Amino acid sequence: MKKWYKRYITWFCMALCILALVGCSAKEEQVSALSKEENENTATLAFSWSPSGLDPHSADSWEIMRSGAAETLIKLSKELVPEPWLAKSWEQVDETTWLFELQENVKFHNGKAMDATAVKDSLQRAIDNHQGTKDLLKIKTIEAVSKTQLKIQTTEVNAALISNLADPGTIIMDVDSLDSEDSYPAFTGAFVVKQFNQDESLIVQRYEDYWGDKAKLDEVTIKYISDANTRLMALQSGDVDGATDISVEYIEVLGKNEQLEVLTAQSLRTHLVMYNMDSPLFKQLAVRKVVDSLIPRQEMMDSVLMGQGTVAVGPFSSILQFGQLDQMEENQSVDGLMEQDGWSKNRDGLWEKDGKVFEATFLTFPQRPELTVLAEVIQSKLLEQGMKVNIRQVENIDETLVNEEWDLAMYSMLTAHTGSPHFFLETFYKTDSASNMNHFASRTVDAMIDEMHGTTDPEKSTELAIEIQEEIAEEVPHSYIVHPNTVFAVNKDLQGFEALPIEYYYNHANIDKE
Amino acid sequence: MLKFLLERLLQLVLVVFCVATLTFILVRISPGDPATIMLKANEVPASSEAIHALRSELGLTNSISGQYIEWLQQIFTGEWGESFVSQKPVINELFVRLPATLELALAGLAIMLAVTFVMGISTAVYENGLADKIGRVLALLGSAIPTFWLGFLCIYLFSVSLGWLPSIGRGSFENLILPATTLGLGLGTVYARVLRAHMLELLQQPFVKASRARGLSKKRILVFQILKQALLPIVTMVGTSFAFMLGGSIIVESIFSWPGLGQYVIESINMRDYPVIQGYVVFAAILFVGIHMLVDFIYLLIDPRLRV
Repeated sequence: MKKWYKRYITWFCMALCILALVGCSAKEEQVSALSKEENENTATLAFSWSPSGLDPHSADSWEIMRSGAAETLIKLSKELVPEPWLAKSWEQVDETTWLFELQENVKFHNGKAMDATAVKDSLQRAIDNHQGTKDLLKIKTIEAVSKTQLKIQTTEVNAALISNLADPGTIIMDVDSLDSEDSYPAFTGAFVVKQFNQDESLIVQRYEDYWGDKAKLDEVTIKYISDANTRLMALQSGDVDGATDISVEYIEVLGKNEQLEVLTAQSLRTHLVMYNMDSPLFKQLAVRKVVDSLIPRQEMMDSVLMGQGTVAVGPFSSILQFGQLDQMEENQSVDGLMEQDGWSKNRDGLWEKDGKVFEATFLTFPQRPELTVLAEVIQSKLLEQGMKVNIRQVENIDETLVNEEWDLAMYSMLTAHTGSPHFFLETFYKTDSASNMNHFASRTVDAMIDEMHGTTDPEKSTELAIEIQEEIAEEVPHSYIVHPNTVFAVNKDLQGFEALPIEYYYNHANIDKE
Repeated sequence: MLKFLLERLLQLVLVVFCVATLTFILVRISPGDPATIMLKANEVPASSEAIHALRSELGLTNSISGQYIEWLQQIFTGEWGESFVSQKPVINELFVRLPATLELALAGLAIMLAVTFVMGISTAVYENGLADKIGRVLALLGSAIPTFWLGFLCIYLFSVSLGWLPSIGRGSFENLILPATTLGLGLGTVYARVLRAHMLELLQQPFVKASRARGLSKKRILVFQILKQALLPIVTMVGTSFAFMLGGSIIVESIFSWPGLGQYVIESINMRDYPVIQGYVVFAAILFVGIHMLVDFIYLLIDPRLRV
């Protein structure tokens, strides 16, 4: 029996020793981390989406841009106006040719100088690797005219080229740096990639040879936390100094914490209702107008989105010049419009036509839970007016819209991600576009969109974009509901972190920590 | 012994084949097009040309039968295809994340075993006493509290309120405590009841009466004679739990932002990254079968009667 005791005591002592050793090593790490923090000005941010790698010409481009390590030729201002960045200036030589003057003294993170040839190679790779970038730029040829001059020729008139060169898919990098497996891709930003831990974090540090104003922070750690609750608690516990994509229901909780600050910005996103123009119920304009007039936009914004947004008048946010539309008022009553279309109310108070009660299928999807709540509000409003709507939640909204029968659908889209209306209007409203999922068809609108593509004068282009939206609004193919706010929360010690409508520039050189 | 090993290996091949086929079918019939999801990751509209080009690049325009044959070939030749998202070999992607999951699973298992033995033995020794009553309540809570809730509760208590432990990430020993506790605590309390029940059942055996007659105390008999025999059902449960933990404790990894297999597979499902989902399921199947083989082997070691 004694042997048993001895063996147990020995094992127990060994386990204690191991635990003590692990504990001590952890303590040492902590101590060294603390002393490092004391000497260095560092910050930790929590983002929601983790990149699978650091190749900027892939689906991960947005995350790389948000880290502050990479830059594009053009930058979008707070007002979403294109501004010089790696391109110092530009001019349009003819309808399809643009000449860019590049910044001098720009060095990639591997020390190599950025010249027109390097930019050409980078843009060419961006186009070759990503069809989305190819669609945006419509580039035919790229030519390095001199060390600092780059000539771009497009396949057709592309008035949105300048804005679209701000898309993160066009990040400028030293293409040769991808060949090296021992180092990270070389960009040009104020921060250089120090360490990338897949699924976990990206650590960037100040780039001392940066061509512009150097970063105020020595190092920024970006932690990727996909769960919204964990992100919030990481902020509350002080594990991170700032967090993106905060759900609106947490704003009140965060407001009570004196150390934290909530920052909001009107986003470029639009929540909308789609009408299936081929549906027997909604192919008539009158019914679409009825539903549109019954949507309680302000009420939905206040109750569902807790006031965090702006009531939508058109597809584009009102912070954009081409998003400033006048609200169209419907003069006819619901009953008048329905009766005009041949509907009459039955004994149950429901609208009926040719012996069939009005009953529509309303699609929604779980990835944006607020859309289902918005759909439920609309459903109850329509039922009050005698229109029965059945909500159906589908896993993949895009596939269902294309392959199945439906009448109404909730949808959400980033409508002007480069500050330009071109791409969205073309993909969403052109008759033959695959993304025109509600089968809206108007030759007039098609012609106007083509005309806008050929108009490089910004003022004329804006006028045309507004005219197109007004023309579309006559047909009510969609009911625009709200432009939701983007919500961030930061520790008050973190300075310079801005909530912007554009979602590219989260980490930047001017962020500092007290 | 050789026959035993050969039988189990044949079973493994059959299981992998069935799992690979079933996964392929389920993944293909589930809604969602990887190309559309990848292109609309930031909710920016995508052109039909872009969607078609990506579908073609990912091999999704090939016939389903062609894709299936290619997948089976890849499985049995050790190449599990490339991730749609990262363009890297799936097998590498899984092995890169395995150490994190292994670390968490081992720590969770250690906590689970500690709770099982401490609670199981003490509640059996003090049957119907205070420890037993507390153990019963804890087992009830352990089986009733959802893991995600326990995880958030732990973060709120130890990170937000007390500030003792980090809420997220991997790296130090402190980082491991909360996720491992969340993973192992609930199971440990439940298994403790199982251990207690078996130990008390064995107390009724004649050899116990003989030992008591020889003057041994109840505690001594429980700990040194009964515990070894009561281990048999616990080994099965531990094996299953460990395989489950190794397969990636999806919820715990997501909550604690732990960069392991569980979190990765969630992201892959969201992105409809078919090769990764398929590879992960086959990987998990191999783990389960492998660990069950090991459990059977341990059975033989613990109980000599089974060797006959």
